[in-house]
Amino acid sequence: MIFDKRSPVYEQIIEMYKQKIVSGDFQPGQEIPSRRELATQLKVNPNTVQRAFKEMEGLDLIFTDGNALSRITENQEKIQSLRQGILEDAILSFIDTVRIVGLEDEAVLHLIETRLKEGHPK
Amino acid sequence: MIEIKNLQKSYGKKAILENISFTINQNEVICLTGLNGTGKTTLMNCIMGLIPRNSGSITIDGADIQHQLYERISYIPDSLTMPRWMTVAETMQFMATHYPNWNATKADELLAFFRLEPDAQLKNLSKGNCAKVNFLLGLSLDADYYLMDEPFSGIDVFAREDILEVFTSKFVQDKGVLIATHHMDEVEMLLDRIVMLRNGRIVKDFYAEDIRQTEGKAIIDVMREVYQP
Repeated sequence: MIFDKRSPVYEQIIEMYKQKIVSGDFQPGQEIPSRRELATQLKVNPNTVQRAFKEMEGLDLIFTDGNALSRITENQEKIQSLRQGILEDAILSFIDTVRIVGLEDEAVLHLIETRLKEGHPK
Repeated sequence: MIEIKNLQKSYGKKAILENISFTINQNEVICLTGLNGTGKTTLMNCIMGLIPRNSGSITIDGADIQHQLYERISYIPDSLTMPRWMTVAETMQFMATHYPNWNATKADELLAFFRLEPDAQLKNLSKGNCAKVNFLLGLSLDADYYLMDEPFSGIDVFAREDILEVFTSKFVQDKGVLIATHHMDEVEMLLDRIVMLRNGRIVKDFYAEDIRQTEGKAIIDVMREVYQP
């Protein structure tokens, strides 16, 4: 993972987790690496990872039983609302960009429809 | 906590360090940075008592640092000082004989961590592997603080990666680490805090995540402001 050096790293870690939970890369209940392991993998300061984990616990994205490794949330409502959140963000930023170009809404919708039918070239 | 207060160092009339005050906390990785010749090494040497200071105090948990308290700090100089005819194992044996706080278990773990050959003679090692031996010896002393002077200068990229991995490893877990370097790119993401020296004075002392959060800046941006005004 490549980090943006100009925004808080703990927030970027949380964002990565949100995306992986929504995409299903991280399954509900799945164990996640220890803080130190993740720090080594990501090559970032362990205290920063610790902070990300603490926040994610507060946000209910992960949970920890006793001394065991933390796990991904099993709360389906939570996962659903994450999905919703990521969609909203994507659409809002899309709209922002489209407004700059200044297309009519009709034309934008038409464009999206066509592209969706073609299959999004990634 | 190591607390440095109003430290002053001059050679003759030339002030090298002026009014230096900062703390080294446990469970923090701090980078002491500054351009060449700004006093980083002098400051490290003053903390270790290797060169006398003119004034100011250095305490560990409130007690003046002297005698056995120095065992709580391990200083890793910028290059290996062991005789070149020694093997890696012999340097470890040497340390075990001379330092009561030598931790043989940790030393063996570090030997594996750095993938070093115990029977290799220092004179046959690459510069990168010498740097690893240097780290192995310093980190194998049981201490609460590790001070490292320019750990990455002149070593190849792979040795550097191995040494960088130390900072996320259990070998420095809960320790106070002070790295003196101007190679910010390499350590940027591994740091808790940055202390910037310029012309022998501390001009900035801040947490990396704070500067990213509140000012949207990378550490290198702050360095540019400080050193290239």
